[in-house]
Amino acid sequence: MAAEAAPADGRRRQDSGFAEPLWRGIAAYRFASLVYAAIVVVVNLDAYARAWAGAAVVGVMTMWTVLAVVGYARPSRRSWPLLLADLLVTTTALASTVVVYTPAQVYSMAPITTLWVAGPVLSGAVIFGRRAAIACSLVLGLCDTLNRGRVDADVLHGVAILLLAGFALGYVSALASEAERRIAHAARLEAATRERERLARRIHDSVLQVLSLVQRRGSELGGEAAELGRLAGEQEAALRGLVGLDADAVSPSGAADLRAALTAHASASVTLSMPATPVELPARTVQEIDAAVAAALDNVARHCPPHCRAWVLLEDEPDAVTVTVRDDGPGIPDGRLAQAEADGRLGLAQSIRGRVRDLGGSVTVHTEPGSGTEIEFRVPRAA
Amino acid sequence: MSDGGTGGGAPLRVMVVDDHPMWRDAVARDLAAAGFEVAATAGDGAQAVRLVGAARPDVVVLDLQLPDYSGVEVIGKLAAAGSGARVLVLSASGEQQDVLDAVKAGATGYLVKSASSEELIAAVRRVGAGDAVFTPGLAGLVLGEYRRLAAAPARREDEDAPRLTERETEVLRLVAKGLTYKQIAQRLVLSHRTVQNHVQNTLNKLQLHNRVELVRYALEQGLDDD
Repeated sequence: MAAEAAPADGRRRQDSGFAEPLWRGIAAYRFASLVYAAIVVVVNLDAYARAWAGAAVVGVMTMWTVLAVVGYARPSRRSWPLLLADLLVTTTALASTVVVYTPAQVYSMAPITTLWVAGPVLSGAVIFGRRAAIACSLVLGLCDTLNRGRVDADVLHGVAILLLAGFALGYVSALASEAERRIAHAARLEAATRERERLARRIHDSVLQVLSLVQRRGSELGGEAAELGRLAGEQEAALRGLVGLDADAVSPSGAADLRAALTAHASASVTLSMPATPVELPARTVQEIDAAVAAALDNVARHCPPHCRAWVLLEDEPDAVTVTVRDDGPGIPDGRLAQAEADGRLGLAQSIRGRVRDLGGSVTVHTEPGSGTEIEFRVPRAA
Repeated sequence: MSDGGTGGGAPLRVMVVDDHPMWRDAVARDLAAAGFEVAATAGDGAQAVRLVGAARPDVVVLDLQLPDYSGVEVIGKLAAAGSGARVLVLSASGEQQDVLDAVKAGATGYLVKSASSEELIAAVRRVGAGDAVFTPGLAGLVLGEYRRLAAAPARREDEDAPRLTERETEVLRLVAKGLTYKQIAQRLVLSHRTVQNHVQNTLNKLQLHNRVELVRYALEQGLDDD
């Protein structure tokens, strides 16, 4: 994801709707700088060594400006061929300065192209990023150096300005593609959520209804049908959990919804009671509480007779979260819990007390022979 | 099993609203077999609202997932159509907020669709008699709603937010943990009727609060519009 998202400079950025304003800005810049160059040429026409050549260069610059603006307007053409042509024409126009100017003018005046040379630098920055802008700037700087036969302050000044402009635009362009990538990601997530909701509605309307019906009728008919009904009920609970809350969803702050995690435990024999609003806790706390509930339910499954039912109650209080797992089994006889715990063998002791204590919480077990077992754990919310 | 009424008198009239034909028919058949009078069945909210005047049901067995209206809308429209029927929500999904909203809007009972037909028949009978029918799941939702109201940042409107008494909290927690009213009565040394009344009160306060909130909202909107 990250590799695809952040193309290295030098590779072509994806065509981005966000870059369109940049392209319009570059087009405006090309025309404005052309007008400025033309005015300078007209004003100095009489002083040039070859006035006709000056007029011809302005003509070529005008034609290329139109071609370049039209060419770059289509996203599919924003690539190497057009950029190289752009750089070639611009460099040629810059090199023609030595033909148009007198030798003295070459040293004392700005090149005939003036600011217009920045066109390929800016285009390169938006298409390929900063490296392309640097390359174009250096090519133009080299040409200017050859014109003058030396590296002087004016050459450095010109290259510095091109580099700055290229860097700034490359950066803005990178920001634009990043923004577009994030928006596309958000849109994908939203589409996935919508699809999930659509599926959930469909499944609700058909599959869940039929499974509930099979369960209901099966239990009335008894015998083998009852077993089928029980299986249908289990599938119904599992499916409902699947299309319901997203158990893996973790918010950017690292909080997860404990309700979503506990939903997975619902079955024909396990009933969940919880608030309608999310119970957000740090993701690790959610995992630990979930594991403790799983251990408690496992305990019910192992120690209670078949057809024993269990209830899980989740309560969200401002300072703590309380989870109660109750079963309607025969209860744990006096002393057995303590005995097993002392031996360190019972899953209940290890898994539940250990985990809840690690979270700074407490466990109470309420059991009476004949009236089931109630395990309540209370985990404080971190201040 | 053959006494659908409240004992002796005319049988309770029931309307079944569910968009799933198989379900609708199965529920209607079970209710008829138990001696209730199935006054009408409807496949969507609009049909239910159209039929309710002529059918005059005492109890509406309502599926929350209808193709046209939400549960809250159906309950509102049925009341607006002049029906005094009590509403028993039957829901296959674990869509918690929907169930809570329906109950706040006035439904007095909630049952999951996987409940047996005996449970359904008992629930219809109790709702018809004016009792609230809670599942452990609904008790958890109501408990959560009261906690949410209590924890909400103190706004001016929340000063009169309903609160549970200690006893009501105790009863509701036991219901949420799957104890029957009888077991709760034994554990707390109360009469069955008292347990039922406590549960009923938690629902009444929530529904009253909901109505007050709606009126306040309507007034505020109205004033803002001027």
